[in-house]
Parts: sequence; structure tokens; C-alpha cells
Amino acid sequence: MSTLTALRPSAQRTGTSRATQPRREKGRLHPIVWVFAVLVMGFSLVPFYWLVSTSLKKGPSLGQGELFPSQPTLDNYLSVFGNGDFLLALRNSVIIAVVTTLVALVFASFAAYALARLKMRRKALVLTLVLSVTTFPAIAIAAPMFAIWREIGLYDTLLGLIIPKLTFALPLAIYTLTSFFRDIPRELEESAYVDGATPFQAFRRVILPLAIPGLATTAILVFISVWNEFLLAVTLTSSPAARPVPVAIAFFNGMSEFDVPLGRISAASVIVTIPLVVLVLICQKRIVAGMTAGAVKG
Amino acid sequence: MDRPAFSNPSPAGPRGVRTRSTRRRGVAAALAAAGAISLALSGCGTSASPSAGPTAQAVDPASAKGASGSLSICGGRDSVGLYKGTVDAFMKANPGITAKYIVLGATTDDARTQAVQRLQAKSGECDLFLTDVTWTPEFASQGWLQDMTKVTDAVKGTLIPSTVATTQYKGKSWATPYYTNAGLLYYAKDKVAKPETWKQVYAEAAKAPGNGLVYQAKQYEGLTVNFLELLYSAGGDVIDGQGNVKIDSPETRKVLDFMASGVKNGSADRAVLTYEENSTRLAYESGKYGYERNWPNVYGQLNATPLKGTFGVAPLPSFDGSSKGSGVLGGWNLAISAFSSNPGAAVAFVNFESSPEWQKHVAMDYSQAPAGEAAYSDPEVLAKMPFAQELLVSVKGAKPRPVSPVYAQISEAINKNVHAVLAGDSSTEDAVKKMAEQIKAAQASF
Amino acid sequence: MTAIRALVPERSRSTRDRAERRLAARMTAPSLILMALVAAVPIGYAIWLSLNQYSLRQAGLSRFVGLGNYIDALAGPDWWRAFGQTFLFAACSVSLEMVLGTGMAMLLNLAFRGRAFLRTVVLVPYAIITVVSAITWQTMFDPTTGFVPQILAAFHLPGAGVVWLGEQGYALAVIVMADVWKTTPFAALIILAGLQAISQETYEAAELDGANRWETFLHVTLPLLRPAIVLAAIFRTLDALRIFDLPFVLTHGANGTQSMSMLAYGQLNENRLVGQGSALSILTFLTVMIVSAVYIRFGGGNIRDIAREDHR
Repeated sequence: MSTLTALRPSAQRTGTSRATQPRREKGRLHPIVWVFAVLVMGFSLVPFYWLVSTSLKKGPSLGQGELFPSQPTLDNYLSVFGNGDFLLALRNSVIIAVVTTLVALVFASFAAYALARLKMRRKALVLTLVLSVTTFPAIAIAAPMFAIWREIGLYDTLLGLIIPKLTFALPLAIYTLTSFFRDIPRELEESAYVDGATPFQAFRRVILPLAIPGLATTAILVFISVWNEFLLAVTLTSSPAARPVPVAIAFFNGMSEFDVPLGRISAASVIVTIPLVVLVLICQKRIVAGMTAGAVKG
Repeated sequence: MDRPAFSNPSPAGPRGVRTRSTRRRGVAAALAAAGAISLALSGCGTSASPSAGPTAQAVDPASAKGASGSLSICGGRDSVGLYKGTVDAFMKANPGITAKYIVLGATTDDARTQAVQRLQAKSGECDLFLTDVTWTPEFASQGWLQDMTKVTDAVKGTLIPSTVATTQYKGKSWATPYYTNAGLLYYAKDKVAKPETWKQVYAEAAKAPGNGLVYQAKQYEGLTVNFLELLYSAGGDVIDGQGNVKIDSPETRKVLDFMASGVKNGSADRAVLTYEENSTRLAYESGKYGYERNWPNVYGQLNATPLKGTFGVAPLPSFDGSSKGSGVLGGWNLAISAFSSNPGAAVAFVNFESSPEWQKHVAMDYSQAPAGEAAYSDPEVLAKMPFAQELLVSVKGAKPRPVSPVYAQISEAINKNVHAVLAGDSSTEDAVKKMAEQIKAAQASF
Repeated sequence: MTAIRALVPERSRSTRDRAERRLAARMTAPSLILMALVAAVPIGYAIWLSLNQYSLRQAGLSRFVGLGNYIDALAGPDWWRAFGQTFLFAACSVSLEMVLGTGMAMLLNLAFRGRAFLRTVVLVPYAIITVVSAITWQTMFDPTTGFVPQILAAFHLPGAGVVWLGEQGYALAVIVMADVWKTTPFAALIILAGLQAISQETYEAAELDGANRWETFLHVTLPLLRPAIVLAAIFRTLDALRIFDLPFVLTHGANGTQSMSMLAYGQLNENRLVGQGSALSILTFLTVMIVSAVYIRFGGGNIRDIAREDHR
């Protein structure tokens, strides 16, 4: 056990030594890289800017195609925040996405460790089954799920959404984590074994800390996919008490059945990206922080 | 798809099918076992007993008296608050009943998918469904609705006959009209002439770049409606009362050629190929066009723009003056689910919404086209809806879309092929042939 | 590592192997049991539906047709047209996403001021609800009210005066752009995590060998990134081959943009041909699984290595 604990600081030190020697000097970039960076930003931001600009328009100015709203208004935002159903949906979405992401990380890291590291029968079969669950078209299973969910009382509840969303998010989490765990050098676990650690201890004390960038990446990917999922959400709910954001936005009313309330839809979409941006800001530090794995491998 | 299904109503099917299945008996048996389990579990299985069908139970109008308990009304997005408004007013008038409105889907398609899911699962969640006028034959033939003939007959006298017609299938009424809809032509009074015929509109629209016509020609249900409006005006039809396919006609060719050359010569901006109702409205509001085909709701929104006062509203014109102008009927009905546990309260709700008093509110408070005829000449309504008389002409003259349980397939056959002609990807002749073929195939799948 | 293993006595190794297998079973159990409980019945039911034909005339009337629905689908032109259009879309968007995603990941891996900001900014498109992003691109390219046609016309750029979403080729281009815009961050994020696993020493060794930056990238970075790129490509292809929302909102399948999922959706939900629609869904599923298998087999990477380990 003593080697095991001694091992972690050493691994981290290698990581730190790498972090203190960044590959390029801070602040100076090759001009081509600069151009690329600007293009990437532009491509990412222009459509998003259009969404923001639409969210500041009202009534006839929505049809003018102005890049800069001539009469910007916050009315859409006020109306969205004044919509009780939307706020409820925001709460539902946060609960669903947070719970699903956390449980998915636990379940998937277990399964991924077994697949990446342990001796196990029929790995190919397990990998295929896992992939097929996420590949199966949701439209084909929506109707039977609705019937079963009603039967067992999960219909129109938050738990009733968390369970299927977890199921269909797990394959992505399992695959990414399996691949990340695989990249962690075996030497670290082997020395833990020599030290008398059980495989599970090796997983908990060696793999998990080293896999933080992989876990953070997976958390972002799972969170966003759960946050944006629509079909199951609309099929398995019927009241604002259980409805998540994408459905609530789709149900925004307009001036008629043919009217698409572009302004309010845009405002709501801008608002709901904020929790995601916060999540990314939290997670992205972790992505940079845990670079020990590769450092040791080399 | 091209196999004529159910020519033999025996569930076992013709011999050819059996031979094919015995060859794969092993796999099939295993899958069948799995299927049987899930069937039992899910409860949306299909038993072979053809008990349902248009011979479903009939609702007793008297059951509305003294009805109580809870009532759920399910349908699409409550876009103008009409549904919630009706529910609230209804509960005020009937304190014994607790009613609520459940939103099933954002679009007509979503709402139908969700409604079908509930009906297939024999779910009693919804007592009343808001049904699009094109769904009646499908829902009725599947045994999902209760026979409402007596309920509808009782209020028939006050409703516009064309709206009542959309509730009929096989001689019975399966729903009661809620509100209706018909296309209108908006035109820029300062730029173009008042619409008299479609030919004149197209000619006028081609005269100057700012005179163009915008309508809905994206490949979807809206294009079916826009095409049928011209086809009906030109005297054409899709299927007749006996279900014979009538689309392969000189009228269809004439209308297709006319619309395609309109896109080509700029009478209608090529942009229409991507337009739905909302984008059409926004395009016209930009002031770059002379004519707009759209629904009545656009009136209020146009009045909130700088174009206020510059535009006129007209019923859809005739094709070339030789036949009558005709629109296509839109709107929504209310139908009682076969699985409702409280049909009495449902009847009470239907009686309430179809009453002349509430129909007036439909127009006055929610700017929807009422199904009740008296509302159109009510002074309070006219103050809110100055074009009510034009609208009434449109609704009265409007024809229903093809009446068939496979309407969705028929509509797809129409809008796909019409779109291809308008985009220049298909010849008129090809499209007409394909439409006729695909509509026949759709009927065979029934 | 073999040396270390040799140190452990033979008997305790076999005990440990058994313990390890037990642990593996226990660690995969929660995921597999959940998937079996939730997904197995609906999937089995969908397969059953695909083997039957259901009457639209009379509820409750069905007949077993075996593989008839599949044979019909494969014999008709609709499936193959959708198949071709979907593959064209997937090939264009996934290849662009991998190239751009790798570039984006390299960029985000550099140390420069504002990196945290850039990392967040590039992820924003991925965070936007799919249908909303489709509506955004639709309004951007609207011929009358969108700003893209206005800018193209103002600067006399190619594509000016074209009704983008109403034209073969152009419509596909908009859908590809919208998809690349939204999902490149997904690929970039996975590739970035893979990039973190390459050590500084590897680069230094390459520099000592006299390799320039481009050669280092080509011969050192890229091969080491392969597991991450293959992983990103698997999931992106899997989604691209099932593309639905973008064409559904932007074109409704017109102008050469009918995808396999749209076809299945149309038959299943719009036309309510439940048997045929389920068969089309399952054909889509099989297609995607076959493509994934090809990726894993020929793309290499960690997943293939793991799939090949079958400890008996």
C-alpha cells in the first residue's frame, strides 16, 4: 500500500513538470494558427450571434434580416422568465441531467474498467450489445416504452425520464471511458498489484484519479446529450411537472397554430446554454489538470 | 408497400406468406416468443378479434345532464390560449366538472403521433381529442372514437355545413367542430390589383419585382393544401366519393404547369420552395411582395407592422373565371375517445364549445374562425375581424381534403411530386403518373 | 510488465484470474442489467412489429409476414435513395468534422492567453438544442429574411441569388454546414482528451530526430491520436447515419435530403404503416451497426484491441 500512495505524487509530479513547460510560449502564436483560431471562433460564434440577435427582436423586426437589431428589446427574455412552465422545465432539466450524468459516470466507469483492464469473457459481444442499445432508432421504441411506462407508473415522472435517458447515454459513456482507461499505462496498476492491492483498489486509487480528463470530457458529452434529448422527453411526459426544457420550448405558444415564436424560442435557447457553459467552465479545468496519464506513458 | 394488403382478411394471410415464414421458422419462433412477452407486457398488442371499427358505441346526448368528475382534453400546442380559455369558461359554467387541457405535441404531426400512441395503448388518459379535420376517417375506422352523430346533429343547425362535413365518415359523425380555417389572399393595395382569378394574380405578380406572390411550397402538408386550392378552383379533384383516383386529369396537368411556370417566371419567388406559413408571413412583412396566401391569423400580425392599412384581404379566387373559387378546409374538431371513462362530461364540453355564445368568443377573444355561422355577422366580431365576411365566403366555399383513412400517405404523394415539379426536378407528366400510382398504392395499404 | 507478472506465483495467479473475472462481471452488471431491463423489451417488440403487417382498416387486425416488410423495402427505390443520400451526407459531414475537430483540438491544446475562453466558446454550438439550431440555420438562409443571402448578394459572392434550401446540392450543403457547426466540438473534445495522453517527451524525441512540426504531427501525433479519432468517428458516424432533425426542419426531405431515419419516421408515424416503418428502422439500425463494425475493425484503436481480447 505504501508504494501505491507514494506512486501518486510521483505521477502528479511528472504531470506538473509537463504543465510547467508548455509546448509554446504563452501568448505567442504562429500567424497561421492565429488565422485558424479566428476562423474557428467565427464559425462557432456567427450562428450563435444570430440566435442572440433574434432573441432581441420582436414583432415585425424578426422579418427584416438585420444582423444588428435596430430596436433591441429584452421583452423575449422577460416573457420567458415570466413563464412558470419554462422555469419548472429548467428545474426538471437540471435535476434530470445532473442525476443522469452522475449515475452514468459511476456505472460506466465500472463497466469501462472491466472492459479496458480486467480479464473477462465475451468482451466483443458486450461491446456490440452496448453499442446496439444506443444505435437502435428511438422512434421505433417510443411507442412500446410509452405503454410500458404507463403500466408500471413511471409515466410523467422525473424518474421515468432519468431511467431511459441513463440507459441510452450509458453506451457513449462506456465507450469513451473504456478508450480513455485503456490509454493509462499498465505499469502503474502493476506496481499497485505487487504492493498487494486488489484490482478494485487499483481501479479506485490509480485509474480513477488518472482518468479525470476522460471523466470530465465524458461528463460534458453525457450531460449535453441528456439535456438536448427530445423524443423520449415528449413521449414519456404529459405535464409541466415532469417536462424538460426542449419540450417546454417546443410548446411555447404563438399568435396562431402556424406561428413560430422565434424571438422567445431564441431567448429561451440562449438562457439554457448558460448552465451548460458553466458546466464546461468547471470541467475544462479538469481536462487540463489531469495530464499525468500521458506523461507517464511516454 | 405495393403488395395489396389485406385483400384476404384472414389473419393467417395468403399461402405465399406462409411458405416464406416456414422457411425461417427457427428464427421467427424465437422472435415471436420475445414478441409475445413484450406484447403481454406492453398492452399495446393487437388481438386478432376485429371487434372495433366504425360500429363503435354511440354517445348518448342525455349523458351530459348532471355529468361530473374529471375531464381531460388532449391536443396540440395551445397557441392562442383558446383551449385553456375554453376549459376555464367551461368549468365556470359547470362547477361539477374538473377539466384540464393536456398538450400532446408542438406540431400537428407530433400531436397526432402522441394521440395515436395513447389510443393504441387503449389509454384512458384523454377523454376528448382535438382532431385535425383530416384525421376523422383514420381515427373512426380504427375504432378509437365514439359515435357522436346524435350530439353533432343536435347543434348542426347553427354550424357551417362544410365544417360539419369534416366530422363525417361512413354516414356517421365522429366529432363535433370546434373552430375552422380557410386560406385567404392578402394583397398590397398600392401595388397590385384585387384578386379576381388565379391567372390574373399570377400575371399581375409577374409585372414588377415587388409584386410577387408568396405561398407555402415547402415539401409538407402546407403544399398539399396550397396545391389543392388551385386544383379545386380549376375543377379538379384527387379522389371521388367512391374512392376512385381522379388525380390523373387535364386539370391537374393544367394547374401543375401553371404553378411551375409561375415559379420559373417570377410570379412566385423561388423562395416559396422553402416556405411554411410562418416564413411566408415574415417574407410578406418585409414589404418585398405583392400577394400572400396565408391563414386568417396573419391579419392581426400584419396590422402590427408598418404595412398596416396598405393591404387588402380577399377570399381565394377562381382559377380562370370559368369555375368557382374554392379553398381547402382547415380547422379542428373535438372527438370523444373510445376509452374515455367520462363521456358524459365530454359531451357537456362539446355542447359548451359548439354553442353560438362560445363560438362568438372563439372569434372575438382568440381571432380564430368560428364554426358557428352566426358569429360572422355579429357586430362585436366584425369590429375585431373586419374581414369576417370574406372569411365566411372562404369557409363556406372550401372543400375538404381527400376523405380517406390513409390521408397522410395521399398527402405525401401529392406534396412530394408537386414539389419536384415546382423545383424543376420532375416533369408534369411524370409527377401526375406518380401521384396516381402512389395514391393507389396508399389505398391498397389500407 | 511480463516481468512483474512472472514474479507472482502460478497458483495465486489463477486464483486472481478467477477473482478478476468475478469482479469484471460485477462491475459490468449494473450497466448491462439496466440496459436489458429498459431497452430489451421495446427493441424486441419493435422487431416483432417489423415481421407483421397491420391493418389500417381495422384496429387489431394483423398478419405475420416474416421478412416481407424487409424484402419490400429492399426491393423498392425509396430505401436505396435514402440510403445513398444519408451516406453522402454522413461522408461529407463526418470527414469535415474529423479534420476540423482535430484542428480545433490541437488549437485548444496550445498554451495561450484566452484558452479557457476559446474552449468554452467552441463548445457553445454543441450545447444548443438540435431543433433550435436547425431553426437558426433555416432563418439564416431564408431567401428574404435571412442574413446569409443578403451578405452573399451584397459582396457578389458565389451562391448569391440561390434559394439554398430549395436547390439540390445547396440544400445538402446547408445541412452539412449546420451539422458540422453543431457537432465538431463533440469530436474536438474527445480528440483533445486523447491529445492530453501524448507526452511531451514524445514530441521532444521527434524534435531530436530533426522532424519539423508538420512531420511531427503526421508521424507522431496523428498515429497516437488514432484511438481518439476512431472513437469520435464511430459516434459521429452513428449519429450522422441516423440524421433526422436537420433535414426534417430544413427541407422535410426535399431536394435530395431524405435520410433513412426520416423515411422510417414517415412510414411509422405519419403513415402509420407500423410493420414497414419498424422494418425500415431496423434496416437503419443494421446499416449503422455494420458501419460501426467496419470502423472498429479497420480503424483500429482501443476498442478493437479490447474486442479482440476474449479471456476464456
